[in-house]
Amino acid sequence: MYREHDLSYDFLGIHLENPFILSAAPPTDELDIAIDGLKAGWAGVVLKTTSVEGNPVNLKYPMMSSFGTAAHKLWGLGNIDLISQYHINEICERVKTLKGMFPTKMVAASIMGSKKEDWQSLVWQLKKAGVDLIECSFSCPQGSMGEAPGRMLAQSIEATEKVARWVKEAAGDTPVLIKITPQVTDIVEIAKALKRSGVDGVTASNSVPALIGVDVETLEPLPSLFGEGAYSGMTGMVIKPLTLRTIAEIARNVDITISGNGGAYSWSDAVELMAVGASNVQFCTLPMHHGFGTIRDLKSGLADYLDRKGYASPLDIVDKALGSIKGQEELVAPHSHSDIDIDKCIGCGNCFRACNDGAHRAILWDAEKRQPSVDADKCPGCGQCMQVCPVNAIRMKEELDGKVHYFEFGGTHQV
Amino acid sequence: MEEFEKTLSRQQAAIEAERCLYCYDAPCQAKCPAHVPVPEFIQSIRSGNLHGARTLLQTAHPFIETCGRICPEEAFCQSVCTRSKIDAPLRIRELHRFVTDSTDPTDRMELPEVTVGRVAIIGAGPAGLTCARELRIRGFSCDVFEARRMGGVPSQEVSTHRYPQKVEEREICFLASVFATHVYTKHVTDVKPLIADYDAVFVATGLPSESDMNIDGAQLVGVHHARELLRRMKSGVISGAGNRVGIIGGGNVAIEVASMLREEDPTRDVTVVYRRGIKELKAFKKEIEEATALGVTYQFLAIPDKIVGNHHVEGLQVTQAHLCEEDESGRCRFEPLPGSSFIIPLDTVVVAIGQRVDEDVFPGLARGNSGLISVGENMETSMPGVYAGGDAVHGAQTVVEAVRDGKKAAEQIAALVAGGK
Repeated sequence: MYREHDLSYDFLGIHLENPFILSAAPPTDELDIAIDGLKAGWAGVVLKTTSVEGNPVNLKYPMMSSFGTAAHKLWGLGNIDLISQYHINEICERVKTLKGMFPTKMVAASIMGSKKEDWQSLVWQLKKAGVDLIECSFSCPQGSMGEAPGRMLAQSIEATEKVARWVKEAAGDTPVLIKITPQVTDIVEIAKALKRSGVDGVTASNSVPALIGVDVETLEPLPSLFGEGAYSGMTGMVIKPLTLRTIAEIARNVDITISGNGGAYSWSDAVELMAVGASNVQFCTLPMHHGFGTIRDLKSGLADYLDRKGYASPLDIVDKALGSIKGQEELVAPHSHSDIDIDKCIGCGNCFRACNDGAHRAILWDAEKRQPSVDADKCPGCGQCMQVCPVNAIRMKEELDGKVHYFEFGGTHQV
Repeated sequence: MEEFEKTLSRQQAAIEAERCLYCYDAPCQAKCPAHVPVPEFIQSIRSGNLHGARTLLQTAHPFIETCGRICPEEAFCQSVCTRSKIDAPLRIRELHRFVTDSTDPTDRMELPEVTVGRVAIIGAGPAGLTCARELRIRGFSCDVFEARRMGGVPSQEVSTHRYPQKVEEREICFLASVFATHVYTKHVTDVKPLIADYDAVFVATGLPSESDMNIDGAQLVGVHHARELLRRMKSGVISGAGNRVGIIGGGNVAIEVASMLREEDPTRDVTVVYRRGIKELKAFKKEIEEATALGVTYQFLAIPDKIVGNHHVEGLQVTQAHLCEEDESGRCRFEPLPGSSFIIPLDTVVVAIGQRVDEDVFPGLARGNSGLISVGENMETSMPGVYAGGDAVHGAQTVVEAVRDGKKAAEQIAALVAGGK
């Protein structure tokens, strides 16, 4: 009944119906689940990472943990998962099945190895099965298997470049993405190494190595298995700002294709990742939390956004925000001050208290009326008051060259 | 009797606590007569620090178990909750109750030696026991005199579905055993004999007597006073009410007795007969909802003319009323519709039209126009060293207001004794 906005485009020579891909994770670890995801409308799958025989996958359950508040339990999701328990032969069978069922979808597979022969043999087998794209995990938070347990391949510039070359050498014209970790000293150096290696792109980035928590009653690390725990890979909305910075840093400094991954929970998160350089966006925690049906809102939200902005293709978003990302020292110094909309204000006093105890004591409080007001002489416009205002009644106002500018609370969208 | 309202679960409480805006100089706290530090205790719920939350509550307020259940939140904290301007007020009373139900009242007590003075407290209700606690904390010894069951109106007259006996016992036993030096079961009607033995006296007897209905038939068998019936049922004695009960009144006592009569015998018809409409009922909303859920029915716009019957109640003759313009209190005035009288067949009539001031007790204490005991700004009566508070001074009020009086009187007594030494 309604016209469907065309969200399709070309990514490394592969047709994508839309920018939304299911990442190498539990939602792509069973054939029937992956099929359901593709049927629901996701543009592609990256089958969960597989390896060669002889690399045991000893999963420890429960592997999932999370942190948040009572009303929002899942700000961050943690896992001590490993790669898929399925053998490469099985994965190759699945590639064939999925390509047969969904010829217009992207069917990719993720691999991890240690020795050169392992990596290259995995690539050859997948190529033979007709895979669209190969993603290489250089960044499992539980460490690469084999040579250096506990360390991630993508934490070494030299190893990253060397192994990426092996893979690309075997892959030939099949596109290769290297999935990296944000936990490095300088992400740009890693991206440059990948550029030198000749791979097609980078997936930025994997889950963030983290300790999800400590049970204060037992002092056991979380997740706790018989009182002992391990570091998790953290995903979910809490890591989006880290991912944004990682993608932006790569995109500003290295000319390489980026597949965005990590913390996107909505179409607008995806737009953000693309605006700083991602050419598509991979999801895992969102479908693991709210199911494959979330694709409908991702698509319709993005379609509406493109219409509103007059963009023809999702690719038009890519890099749009990059030019405006500067060093702090390069920014123009405004002379703004807090501007409170008293009609919107509900009189909670959070702005007053935040300014009084943590900023510049520039907000005055009328106890009788329960109303804040701003001492413009004392207020440098730091913006803390607008962060704590529960109803977004505060913005920073600047009058420059006879023109009024407002700095408003970010992260919310006008409905 | 099972409680009407369940304690919030830990998860429900934590989610509700997240809605709190932690207002600066919070209106909820200011509105609470006992000044319970609402945002602070809610923050402690959020952090999982329930003992800290309880300490905040019990420092502000001795009757926390009681108020967690029966405080009319819509009249106090929740009526000014800033969150209402976004969506709906926090469920502050229920959060308060969650804390008291999840923690132990005997935590971490530390009392000073009794060295400062001796005070006699007449009445072991919320005002009296609060005063005793506040004075004991300041190093006073307090002798408490009570004619009836300890705990005042909540213990004596609030139905167990809203205020269960285990909660009452936990709170009242704790307060009386920890803070009162002696508790005497004695009906004190004159303060003069006590003055010589004590540094001060606090009169907090409440208003135990009830108003009579000045209509024909009020003397018939089957006519009861509401609070007397409540006290009887609360103490485990059957009410003796029949199967068709009419309750005259529209306040909390009328609704309370209606609920309790339905509880006692769910096959009994209980009708609240009220002169005005549903909007004008003075009882608190939650009590009306609970009574309605128990099956209490209402005859609105009915002015009682006389109780009919021959020796025993057979019915209540009422005249239909119609509502007119609003009066100063915002409630509609009513007028009888001539020729519209009819008889409601009843075998029991319960009169719930308010308390009566008993001016025969406490001779020598000056009284105001309404007959209530007069006190000055500092809660002192016309007799030096004698203070008064609670319903005996203000007329019927809530538990938390009696607590406020008890706190204030204790402060003033402590100041008096300190000044005199």
